[in-house]
Amino acid sequence: MVDYRFSEEQELFRESIKEFCKSEIVPKTEKLVGARKMPEDIIKALAKFELLGMIIDPEYDGLGTDVVTAGIAAEELARADPSCAIPVLYLVETSWGHLLDKYGTEEAKKEILPKMIKGEQFVGIATTESDIGSDLGSMKTKITKKGDKYVINGEKMYISGVAEAMEYGGGHVTLARMKPELGTRGMCMFYLPLKDTPGITPTYVEDIGREGISCGGFDINNVEIPKDYLIGEENKGFYIVHEGYELARGLIALVCTGAASKALENGIAYIKERKAFGRPIGKYEGIQFKLAEHYVRIQALRELAYKSLWTYDQELQGKASRFDVSMAIAMAKSVAPIWAFDAIDDVMQWQGAFGYTKECEDQKAWRGVRSFTLAEGSCEIMKLIVARELLGKEFLAYR
Amino acid sequence: MKIIACIKQVPDTTEVKVDPKTHTLIRDGVPSILNPYDHYAVEECVRIKEEVGEGSVTVITMGPPQARSALLRCLALGADDAVLISDKAFAGSDTWATAYTLSLAIKKLGSFDIVFCGQQAIDGDTAQVGPELAQQLGIPQVTYVEKVEINDKHKLTIHKQTEDGYHILEAKLPILLALLPPSSFQPEHPPMSSILKAKKKPFNVWDIEILGGDKSRFGLEGSFTQVIKTYTPPPRGECEFIEHDSKEAAKKLSEILLKHEALSKR
Repeated sequence: MVDYRFSEEQELFRESIKEFCKSEIVPKTEKLVGARKMPEDIIKALAKFELLGMIIDPEYDGLGTDVVTAGIAAEELARADPSCAIPVLYLVETSWGHLLDKYGTEEAKKEILPKMIKGEQFVGIATTESDIGSDLGSMKTKITKKGDKYVINGEKMYISGVAEAMEYGGGHVTLARMKPELGTRGMCMFYLPLKDTPGITPTYVEDIGREGISCGGFDINNVEIPKDYLIGEENKGFYIVHEGYELARGLIALVCTGAASKALENGIAYIKERKAFGRPIGKYEGIQFKLAEHYVRIQALRELAYKSLWTYDQELQGKASRFDVSMAIAMAKSVAPIWAFDAIDDVMQWQGAFGYTKECEDQKAWRGVRSFTLAEGSCEIMKLIVARELLGKEFLAYR
Repeated sequence: MKIIACIKQVPDTTEVKVDPKTHTLIRDGVPSILNPYDHYAVEECVRIKEEVGEGSVTVITMGPPQARSALLRCLALGADDAVLISDKAFAGSDTWATAYTLSLAIKKLGSFDIVFCGQQAIDGDTAQVGPELAQQLGIPQVTYVEKVEINDKHKLTIHKQTEDGYHILEAKLPILLALLPPSSFQPEHPPMSSILKAKKKPFNVWDIEILGGDKSRFGLEGSFTQVIKTYTPPPRGECEFIEHDSKEAAKKLSEILLKHEALSKR
């Protein structure tokens, strides 16, 4: 039989993080409205509770926990902040910190990871450009070698945490082309510090949700980085970037689970109380059917999401293949934002006109979760990955 | 300094609902937590041990196997080792039988300096186990303790909460203290590193055979009292909330009291 239980440590961790969120995070979430930058005290609180980079090797001040445990944190943070701003900061640092840990040089790891874990520096991801997202092979940003340094030119756009890296310090794990003629086989991954870096010019955009974390981009004009900032080998960036994305996608599936679960709880409380035509609206089948459908879907999503992170853990231990991971993660991420959004949308619908006001807490989750149909690989791309695994690579539509 | 903390796993009463028809508590699906009073006691034990610079903190509880998680949480908060006293024979224990069982475990642990208890548990709210335990151990006790200062290895200064302030007491060791957290108390949430360390600390499970003692004094048989029913009395009368600033509220309240002839106008 399959054993679905979490380990004793994981159960204790969930209990502890729930209390941490209740006392340290929930009271601070009001500050996120319109902030457009994660308040420093929230980052410090996450760091103090040792959430930032918890899966990273203890040699660089991480805890070396498994990925499923990191997923528990993602789910609980989303329950505490359904706007998803804090979960985004958390999952981005977890995923790209992990990639640095796995493929970065010793010098870079020692310099960057302990600061990220202490909440002193932000580490993000920057692959998207103004007119490329999933089609990484069409990227315009270039990296060239110059002696023992690299020089980068180009731009990145729709990137989370630009203001955090510019102001608090830190940078982004970035992808650029070294050999354009080789397409995706000629790309490099590297760490690009933003704060006080000559040649970096930031711009900002306003996301419709996730107001507590910045979104923007940066022009990169003849920016020099030391060779130690290369992550993995030259021209192998495309292959390793997926490991970061897959981890982020699995965590996103749990963020969606957490945000939707919280909304459903809010909805259940509401429909038991709110009366229409002389009885609580929860007595009407039209509401009950929706509630049951959403509950089942979110529970199914939860199983898919944890299974995907468990598969990721298995791969790290050499017990599963990259294909197993791609498939499991893509399945979870392909439905997570859609199912979660639909659930939250109906919870807002149950609340009538109030549900469409900014007084309604659930609208924050509605706007936040909506981002994940696009972020870290769109739901459509996730379906292509699932279909690729089912049909074989010869059926790739874009080749 | 050897410190022992007696703790209890309780249902999270903030999550307990009341059946509107029977007025009994619905405990199904209610998560179990470390009794908040005990949480404070354990944090105080760890603080004192660190202040003294030597010694150990042992946490003990009597309960079902599931109570292990409450003990692990105490280990994550900094306690050094744990004892779970668990046996079907202990089921149905009232406060006296519980105190007897705990006293046997404490005696089995050997010498000690301070036994800490939470003032009460949030499920039963009896506040009886601490004093009864002191009685059965034959040591002095102080209840409603907010703060403890260590003067030397044999003497304590104790801040005991009273209705209108504090009593400052000096006491010799060994002693039992029942702790009541100050309103400002913010419980610590152990991070993952502490949880991982907790799993590596000594953890003992003692059943009735290991514990020894007089078998007629355990569980239901050894209990003088039994809880027949737990219920919330149905609300009586009407309640009106006065929602104004204090000056307006006072005016409104005096009007209501005058109306009901609870006050007379001079």
